[in-house]
Amino acid sequence: MMLDAKVRRAQRRQVWAHRLGRNRLFRTLGPFVPVVLLWWIVAEAEVFPSAFFVGPDVVLSEFGELIRKGILPSYLSDSLIRLRNGVLFGLLIGIPAGFVVAMSYWARKLTWPLLMFFQAIADIAWLPIVIVWFGHSLTAVTFVIVYTIVFPLMISIVSGVEQVPRDLVRAARSLGASRFRVFTDVIAPGALPAVATGIRTGLGYGWRALIAAEIIIGASGIGFMMFDARRAGDVTHVFVGMIVLGVLWYALDALILAPFERSTIQRWGMVRTAEVAR
Amino acid sequence: MSTLEITNLHKEFVDVYTGETVTAVGDVSFGIEQGEFVSILGPSGCGKTTVLNIVAGFDTQTSGTVHVDGRAVDGPSPERGVVFQSFALFPWKTVLGNVIFGLRMRGVPRRERDVIAQQYLQLVGLEGFERKFPHELSGGMQQRLGVARVLANEPAVMLMDEPFASVDAQTRRKLQEELTGIFETKRPTVFFVTHDVDEAVFLADRVVVLSARPSRVSEIVTVPLERPRQWRAALDSAEFRHTVTYLTDLLAGDEPGVPADVDRA
Amino acid sequence: MAPPPSVSRPGTRLSRRLKATFWFFIPFVALAVVWIITVEMTGVAMRTFPQLNDVRDAIGDLWSTGDLFTHVGSSLRRVMIGAILAVITAVPFGILLGSNRWAAAFFSPLLRFSVALAGIAWIPLATLWLGYGERAVIFIVWNAMFFAITYNAMLGVQRIPTELWRAARSLGTPRWRMFGEVFLPGALPNVVTGLRVGLGYGWRGLVAAEVVATSSGLGYSIFQAQQFYRTDVIVAMMVIIGVLWLITDRALLAPLERRTVERWGMKAVTA
Ligand SMILES: Nc1ncnc2c1ncn2[C@@H]1O[C@H](COP(=O)(O)OP(=O)(O)OP(=O)(O)O)[C@@H](O)[C@H]1O
Ligand SMILES: [Mg+2]
Repeated sequence: MMLDAKVRRAQRRQVWAHRLGRNRLFRTLGPFVPVVLLWWIVAEAEVFPSAFFVGPDVVLSEFGELIRKGILPSYLSDSLIRLRNGVLFGLLIGIPAGFVVAMSYWARKLTWPLLMFFQAIADIAWLPIVIVWFGHSLTAVTFVIVYTIVFPLMISIVSGVEQVPRDLVRAARSLGASRFRVFTDVIAPGALPAVATGIRTGLGYGWRALIAAEIIIGASGIGFMMFDARRAGDVTHVFVGMIVLGVLWYALDALILAPFERSTIQRWGMVRTAEVAR
Repeated sequence: MSTLEITNLHKEFVDVYTGETVTAVGDVSFGIEQGEFVSILGPSGCGKTTVLNIVAGFDTQTSGTVHVDGRAVDGPSPERGVVFQSFALFPWKTVLGNVIFGLRMRGVPRRERDVIAQQYLQLVGLEGFERKFPHELSGGMQQRLGVARVLANEPAVMLMDEPFASVDAQTRRKLQEELTGIFETKRPTVFFVTHDVDEAVFLADRVVVLSARPSRVSEIVTVPLERPRQWRAALDSAEFRHTVTYLTDLLAGDEPGVPADVDRA
Repeated sequence: MAPPPSVSRPGTRLSRRLKATFWFFIPFVALAVVWIITVEMTGVAMRTFPQLNDVRDAIGDLWSTGDLFTHVGSSLRRVMIGAILAVITAVPFGILLGSNRWAAAFFSPLLRFSVALAGIAWIPLATLWLGYGERAVIFIVWNAMFFAITYNAMLGVQRIPTELWRAARSLGTPRWRMFGEVFLPGALPNVVTGLRVGLGYGWRGLVAAEVVATSSGLGYSIFQAQQFYRTDVIVAMMVIIGVLWLITDRALLAPLERRTVERWGMKAVTA
């Protein structure tokens, strides 16, 4: 029957569309193909002057050049080391401090308004005084990144602990768990989604602080490379820098953040309270 | 000619994971007359919701036709109002805002729609709650609002998919009685999906029984109860009990697990 | 015996208010005391860290010379223009993407890529394209907010329960009216979140962009003070920046949330 064949074809299409859509690689990389193509066409058609806008071919060859000269790898590793140090210290300080504030009535009462206030002072505003203290050094950058990570993390942990269902705590207590065990076995894991959210928020800010610090303090790093190129009027390096930054964040997300969230939160069937773009 | 006319309705879903097709609705035909209350009864998963979704225009059939007042169904339309199990009230609109929603969409002038809204709020017993938001109402009140919202639009058919399934048992009884009351005064045409036999019989003029998948109409039972109806009187009446027993047996003989259910479409 | 139902008498409510205010300020008082004593005891030079009254004097000077209003004014103007532009471009765009499954699937990875870059990373390019000055700074604020709001608005529309779409359609809502009647209010919890996240980025982008691209504004003046090791001015500016953000949050975002999302009993999406 004519109609029947048509229906079957439509059904097959539906299945294929679904398979394609489920393929992670296709889903994430697919959309970039037409975008890069469009970029190329716009560049080739010289819609904008080439001093302002260069095509992917130029960017790619410059990218190769920068790698060959060793500039990009060394700047990249500078940026990554700063980020790593900042994040490491940020977590080491923020996680324990967050749980202390969350668990202790007095710590909470005495620090909560301050937390709110320090969170409100945009991290970049700390750069000047930090430069006064530490000069144009690695310590200065690390300090700012630590700052950006600690506060969102602490605030997330406090709200995460608050959201642990009371019944879970009661259940654990009535099953004979000590206060300490309630913390290690119920509250800490229960607050984990919040920790993940906090790390994500903190990294989002820390990442920007890093770029800002490199632009402003500037001696090396991807941010410095971009701003230096801008001063020289070299748009190609700016493009290279932005793409490297974007890819880096993607890699960070795909290789570290997402697996961490998957292995903890989703495995336990807990859904992050809110999926929010950062 | 019936108000709602369903002819040889057939619906297949594609399981996009395995690529297999599932027949949700085998071959369903029946009609609902103007001002008639018809309950659709059938075992879980037999495709009741699917039929309702197709009639509402939310989904499209694989083959077969659905006509309302002689016109083929093509997408959602205010002539087919839907009362949802989950209420589906707009949380950002007040009680009044929800009731007049459909009238506003049709461009009814403000003065006129306020009069209509008052009338329907009174009908469902929600006068005085106009300024409240849905989350400030109890479950039962929310579903009354859901009914008022649809009736205010004066649809050709009101479609209800287990509308009372998410309220407690006592409220459900009360809402059922209220619904018959409303039906008796307004005489809308109602397509009511349920798998509660008592409910189906108590409310309906006729009960359409669907078989397990691939579903077809296994029987259409006319309910011999007088209107107005009340639970107390219904439970006492032999006709009610006979009809319920009859339908219960019918459904029991058709539970999944019987070989006829195996579908290899 | 059951405790009597708590009656909130005006007196107790007032005293509760007072108590809350008291406990809100105590930590700040404590901080100030620690600050004064530490600086006094260690005797650090003003070049390194200011005494509290130096900061107070710095604020007084900034006030009386009118510099405070110039800088705060120009920064606020930039944020406001950037934010308004971002809201009127990003909200419709995000909602449009959210209302179409294919558009959402296509743009999701692109948006995630862009959110990561938004704001500060655009400073070199923005100043190259638009030159140093006002336009580059506003571009940065807009850019920092645009992607966060777009992405969150998109998620917001996708999270509207199917029943609500269906209810609206079967009550006769034409497609073009779905935008204002269902998508916008339905996505509002997420839009507010996006606005909050976006403003955070925009504010930071502003400070950074002002350092390199202009000769007025908070970012400019705080870094200017650093050149002269005026830590009193630096700290004064930091306090002002913090207070301004708190005011934005309490006076703009919180009431918006209270009047809409909370009033409607929809769960606010926590940032
Ligand atoms: N979107 C869909 N995709 C695939 N299969 C579906 C879809 N919707 C329904 N089905 C299948 O169609 C069949 C009928 O489902 P339907 O929801 O109509 O049943 P129902 O009679 O309403 O059941 P219940 O009484 O439990 O509500 C089921 O087997 C279901 O798995
Ligand atoms: Mg169903």
